Amino acid sequence: MTEFFFESILNLVGFAVGIVIGIFAAIGFRNTGSPTLFRLTLAFICIGIGFLIMWAGLALDMYVYHSSEQIGWIQTLGIAVQTLGYFFIAFSHTIKSFFPRSNYLRSVGMVPLFLISFMSIENIIRSISFILLIYGAIETTMSYFESRRKTALFVAGGLGCLALGEFIGWYYFVFPHSILNIASISIKIAGLVLLFIPITRVPLTKIKFDEKF
Amino acid sequence: MKIIGDILTTTRDELPDSQGASITYLIRKANIPHGRISKILGTLVSQGLLEQTNSDGAFKYKISTTGREFLQAYNTFNKFADSFGLTI
Repeated sequence: MTEFFFESILNLVGFAVGIVIGIFAAIGFRNTGSPTLFRLTLAFICIGIGFLIMWAGLALDMYVYHSSEQIGWIQTLGIAVQTLGYFFIAFSHTIKSFFPRSNYLRSVGMVPLFLISFMSIENIIRSISFILLIYGAIETTMSYFESRRKTALFVAGGLGCLALGEFIGWYYFVFPHSILNIASISIKIAGLVLLFIPITRVPLTKIKFDEKF
Repeated sequence: MKIIGDILTTTRDELPDSQGASITYLIRKANIPHGRISKILGTLVSQGLLEQTNSDGAFKYKISTTGREFLQAYNTFNKFADSFGLTI
């Protein structure tokens, strides 16, 4: 019950943060036509929807199926949508060397996804999320050293916390019924709060938004 | 996108006279070739972000009200993107 409560908070905070940043980036895209802001819009809308799907899965387990076991495919779908969002953040940093160049390796790399269970797919997607988040955190930290903009540190810290949360969450599968899940969720919530800080530093009142928004 | 931001900032903050900035002045400030800046200036004028005036047989450029609003939004969202280590 405690874990359900914490996970619900995490997912709802994740949904709110993702959607708010996504809408903000969308307003920026409508006003400037910047492709970077379009990618950030896609990224954060995906992250927000991913968290919402995971919350819906938890709520279904708790209130409809009355089961303590999570519905595998809904969780996997939620994590996959979030990972797509993390991909767009990493892609904005002109990710170049993440995918193998060989067509053979690309096709072979897809095969395991059709042979293994949802639980294994979830673990694979979590590991991809971890790599993308670490990539984004490192690139954002590097940009801080160029621009010295403090908000970049908050974003790097946020992405780093989400990565650490994913890592600890993955360890929870190795040591189930431990405190690791709560630790993972708490670190992820801290990461989302850090990601939200740059929005609070933007002087929103000075912007004349597009009339359609 | 950065070039557009630079041109609009120059035409807002660093005008050499009240008539506006000439192409030569903008080329020196933005540091881009004549052919390219002509196309960009044409687009900015057609979008209503810059006002074009004819002064002594030469075109001069000033930022419009829409251009000021765009530049304000550009600067705000540039800071936002910069927080993610990105440029818009």
